[in-house]
Amino acid sequence: MSDFSVWHFDGVQAVRRHPRIEPVGAGFVLADDQQRTGPFAFADLRYHGRQGDADVYALADSGGEERDGWRLGLSGAIPDAIAAQLPAKARYGGWIDRFGLWPAAGLFAAMSVAVIAIGVKAPEWTAPLVPAAWEARLGEAIVGDLGGRFCATPAGSAALQKMVVALDPNPGDLQVEVANAAMVNAVALPGKKVVLFNGLIADARSPDEVAGVLGHEIGHVRERHVMQGLLRQLGLSVLLGGFDGNVGGTFNGLLALSYGREAEGEADAHAIAALARANVSAQATADFFARLAKDEEAVTGKDDNALIGYLSSHPMSSKRRDRFAASVDKRRRYAQVLTAGEWRALKNMCVDDKDVADGGVLF
Amino acid sequence: MTDSADGAHFDAPDNGSAAESAFVFHGNWREFAPIAFTNLLLTIVTLGIYRFWATTRERQYLWSQTQFIDERIEWTGTGKELFFGFLIVLLGLGLPFFFLQFGVQALAAQGYPEIAGRIGFAVLFLIIYLGGVAQFRGLRYRLSRTYWHGIRGGSDDGGFGYGWSSMWKNFVGMLPLGLMIPWSMASLWNERWNAMSFGPHRFTAHLSAEDIFARFLLFYLIPVALFIFALFAGFGAVTMGISNIESLGPDRIGIAMAIVAFLFILLFYGALGLIAMAFYAKYFRAGVEALTLHTLDFRFSARTMDWIKLFIVDMLLVIGTLGIGYIFLGYRHWKFFITHMEAFGEINLDQLTQSTTTRSKHGEGLLDAFDVGAI
Repeated sequence: MSDFSVWHFDGVQAVRRHPRIEPVGAGFVLADDQQRTGPFAFADLRYHGRQGDADVYALADSGGEERDGWRLGLSGAIPDAIAAQLPAKARYGGWIDRFGLWPAAGLFAAMSVAVIAIGVKAPEWTAPLVPAAWEARLGEAIVGDLGGRFCATPAGSAALQKMVVALDPNPGDLQVEVANAAMVNAVALPGKKVVLFNGLIADARSPDEVAGVLGHEIGHVRERHVMQGLLRQLGLSVLLGGFDGNVGGTFNGLLALSYGREAEGEADAHAIAALARANVSAQATADFFARLAKDEEAVTGKDDNALIGYLSSHPMSSKRRDRFAASVDKRRRYAQVLTAGEWRALKNMCVDDKDVADGGVLF
Repeated sequence: MTDSADGAHFDAPDNGSAAESAFVFHGNWREFAPIAFTNLLLTIVTLGIYRFWATTRERQYLWSQTQFIDERIEWTGTGKELFFGFLIVLLGLGLPFFFLQFGVQALAAQGYPEIAGRIGFAVLFLIIYLGGVAQFRGLRYRLSRTYWHGIRGGSDDGGFGYGWSSMWKNFVGMLPLGLMIPWSMASLWNERWNAMSFGPHRFTAHLSAEDIFARFLLFYLIPVALFIFALFAGFGAVTMGISNIESLGPDRIGIAMAIVAFLFILLFYGALGLIAMAFYAKYFRAGVEALTLHTLDFRFSARTMDWIKLFIVDMLLVIGTLGIGYIFLGYRHWKFFITHMEAFGEINLDQLTQSTTTRSKHGEGLLDAFDVGAI
């Protein structure tokens, strides 16, 4: 170790001094041939890291604020009397220095896992706490009437309403609409809204297929998945620094909102129960899924986003299809959810509605 | 006892020959590696929150290894203030923007595209304005946290006026085919630096658009050069390939054309990147040269080839280490900056007194949020 040496800047002028440290009580005075400054308390020193071969200390005043630019640099073999009174050296930052790097890293990792777990689970607890009126207003604010794209004709609307009544025991608070857009998709939205896109109805081979999909979306509404998904998305985007000046795609995010495997399973169970209650065979829905799965293979690589739409927001698996098929009771005599005339009215609703806004490509 | 009897006075080297630069970097990457890796570890386990403290530790090391004339500089920024700066931006701007975006989309979906568009436009303006403010405040923050001989820099200007300047000058700069961009860049460089000080002394910057205009014209050369290239390429293809072209099926011709188009695009962006680098090198060199602090003049010696080398090694480092090398980029860039910085003139330490500028309490929140460089 080289000899002990001291340098000092007073923070007022850039001139460097090389004073002696003279102990005075629990503090010290900086003295050289021209001046003596101090006394300063050792307890007020703050470690400021190394510069070259020196350990550098700053000086805090009684309020904890550091004196601007005041520095004391110590190098070489620091005398024990002084070394014993110097503050501890900081390395990573307060907490980490206290615990040590690895214990702190472990602790942080555990806390992070807990935060993520809570972030994933919390919406399930908080969603039911959101007042229904707020949710309704939110749904109104986000979707409204989709720019006049909701189709309505007396016969078509009646057919749709009949389907809703068949599937849900308390249909009063549900708002189910058919939107004039070509995508094969359906979404559940805040405020107990379900939107079936006309592409889905055009693609369906029987009203029972539509009933299965509708039952699934009503399931999302009744299980309150919508608000959960929205809260989860909001939470994640804040947590993961989704803040990057481009938080875009909220509505698209809503469309593609994936509720997770568990929620999809719950919605399926809800749909199957609703179909059984309505005495509608789940076979049609199973067939619809089978057709989609086949289409998925066929459309991969092809420019057919309409079908990809449903598949991207509703994970398709043979398990889901089998579940619907297995619920079919072979001995039971099922009815069709709509008559041929009602089905025709529903299929043609968007064509017959002269006031509806042009379908085009939504968003 | 003071440094020298005649009133503490230093002469920085007054010629750029073999004399040592006033700026010397003492760091080495082996010393930096433990800092970089522990920063990476802690940043990961804290879901990114540690990054403010990581930045601080990185700068503490880099600054402490940087010597100016006789003494190393010191970084005194803290992770806490960076974190609070980030929180302020997140709560004050991030959340409102998030909900505004939400509202704009809802308006568009409900058939009010005009209102949605107008709000979107206003938000865009606000972001551009704040981008300018952030650039100013980032520079101010860095100067106010940098100490040399116990003296720091700073600015008494909050940068809100600079935000407007930045907005309208950038806009005017682009108007006549972008020909005024050198003017807007030079003018903003001067405006920024003229508001900054170190100790009692104000920086002065007098960068002129003429200094960088010739280099800027390179951008306009690309289309001409590519047109000539395309002409020759077409001519070559016709003379050499015409005899063979019938032997190729239509599929092959398609593939050949796709390859040509791909090469063309590659060439275009490659050339554009090179020109951008050449221009930036000139801009930065001229900018630093136009800078004085009291009796000190500055030089920046990196030329276009140095910047290209820096960039290529950066890429190789990151790709070669499957991304881990990213944590060394801050070190490399600082080293590049310091080894090419030079200063000439003299400093009278008696006259170098503490800055009276206010120290802003929070860090580079705005700067972080908009991700613009400080200098």
